[in-house]
Amino acid sequence: MSSTCTFGEMMIFQIAKTIPDGALTFHGFGSPLVQLAMHVAKRTHAPHMVLIAGATYGVNPRPPFLTATTNDWTMDRGASSSLDIGELFDLAASGRLHRMFLSGLQIDKWGNCNVTGLGDSVIGLKLPGGGGGCNLSCDVGELTLWTAAHRCPPNKNGVRKFRIVEKCDFVTSLGHRLADGTPRTKLGHIGNGPQWLVTDLGVFDFDASGHLRLHALYPDTTVEDVMANTEFSPGISEQLSISDSPSQEVVDIIRQLDPMKVHEKELRPEDRQRSFEI
Amino acid sequence: MSADQKTTIPMSTSVYTDDSKLIPLSDLVSLVSDGDAIAVGGGLSSREPMAALRELLRAGKKRLHVIGSAHGIDIDMLCGGNAVAATWESYVGFEQDFGMAPNFRRACEDGSVEVHDSCCYTMVQQLRAAIAGLPFMPIRSIRGTDMMKLHPEFKTMECPFTGQELVLVPALKPDVAIIHVQYGDEQGNLCIEGPPVADLLFAQASKKVIATVEKIVSTERLQELGGVSIPYFYVTALSEVPFGAHPTSCYPFYAYDRAHTNLYYTAAKAHDTFVESYLNRYVLDCRDHAEYLNRIGGPAATERLTQWSQGTSSWLELYKA
Repeated sequence: MSSTCTFGEMMIFQIAKTIPDGALTFHGFGSPLVQLAMHVAKRTHAPHMVLIAGATYGVNPRPPFLTATTNDWTMDRGASSSLDIGELFDLAASGRLHRMFLSGLQIDKWGNCNVTGLGDSVIGLKLPGGGGGCNLSCDVGELTLWTAAHRCPPNKNGVRKFRIVEKCDFVTSLGHRLADGTPRTKLGHIGNGPQWLVTDLGVFDFDASGHLRLHALYPDTTVEDVMANTEFSPGISEQLSISDSPSQEVVDIIRQLDPMKVHEKELRPEDRQRSFEI
Repeated sequence: MSADQKTTIPMSTSVYTDDSKLIPLSDLVSLVSDGDAIAVGGGLSSREPMAALRELLRAGKKRLHVIGSAHGIDIDMLCGGNAVAATWESYVGFEQDFGMAPNFRRACEDGSVEVHDSCCYTMVQQLRAAIAGLPFMPIRSIRGTDMMKLHPEFKTMECPFTGQELVLVPALKPDVAIIHVQYGDEQGNLCIEGPPVADLLFAQASKKVIATVEKIVSTERLQELGGVSIPYFYVTALSEVPFGAHPTSCYPFYAYDRAHTNLYYTAAKAHDTFVESYLNRYVLDCRDHAEYLNRIGGPAATERLTQWSQGTSSWLELYKA
């Protein structure tokens, strides 16, 4: 009998694969897909990663279950030590923090993200804010970006509200280039910027110029889906592939850690219905 | 340099040396003035000084500037009570639990709250400058982002050692840090169990520190409980307020009250009825914290939140509420 995984589990697995073994890795708050991806990585291919939990700054915790609130004692149970807020950000500023995960209500073609505000003025529509993402986007070695809201069906007037946009209304965290084309390398930041973007439609990397490029689709998405739901035309990798599915072991880790399916809060109802053979 | 400048110590010189600083909650918040910059301790759903903030609203405090890293119901409630003039927070929201903070968002969008969103390390460095008695600290990050546009007070300079361009962020010295911790003694020594968030930085950088604590214990007992996190001389005054962080958590005493937070969020989202359905009922019409605890359901409600320590399944149940 064949088994299946949900789309959430598929996406967690794709994020987990971006985490190398031995890397000092940190997640922010409000990001259950990423929290689970870090625990999957730590328990499978990356046993030597240093897992630092967001908000509690616990080191290598073993939470009994995932909660939707990050600053909770559930999330740092079993941690071998705890950092404080200054120490965590010092690690990044001094080049010791290897990987971090960022998202946005807008993500542009260079990987800039906006979580501050939509509209011509910042307060057109106020978003919650980016925590330390602004600092970390400059300092952390490599970034994995993610969003579960790439797909943007047209509204009744036929207008799409894109998540993956040509240009962010406000740049909260830095990608590969400024809006005027200036490359981040000119700014002398120590972090290399976004390496991957994992969405509900596919997995993307960035080409040599820093422009977003489709790297892999899911078994149930197409290049046409990606193009229709993106405000600009992302490049397409010559090695475009179909993402592999998580193993039963990975799926079991996720289901054990997230009995309340907190991670599905990040997904649209339609995406909660997707399933894949594993 | 004038004689004045030579002799003026630029940063806070206040130390608080009284033997007994225990005062009632209503007196504690009288140490906050209208227009003050307040640094609110804890973060997200953890150890936020909610009883003190409710008392601030009852006392009718206005035009506050709020400083912090990642916050939720605390700042949202102050915005809903029209007590905030400007935000220097880096995040105000309810994560994936409920989403955006309704009162905060509305207040920023309608212009009643000035938006000076910050980011964590920027704030840490600004507090460190205040703590070290320096006018600024440098950071390398944020150049290239639009954070610079929200902060015309930030300057850039070329590093005289490396030639690298750096951002200079000015010292940030809150008028009052308001924090809630597990234990304190009569003199004001405070013990934080679990993640301190930015509370230690807030305490060291601020002109005054006012604290509520779950339990007052002897100085000897504080040592047994893990030692002093914030020495007494930083602390202006404190009150013993059990369940003073409710509905945020204050482990090991009690977990996060998700059901009450849901009730709050639903009321805040409805906007027009927020004052009537939440603010009056749970804040303004309560005589004091004891009445608040009665209105949220009394001992049965608070007792439920202490059940987290009974085991994983009891703990898990609390999040299903």
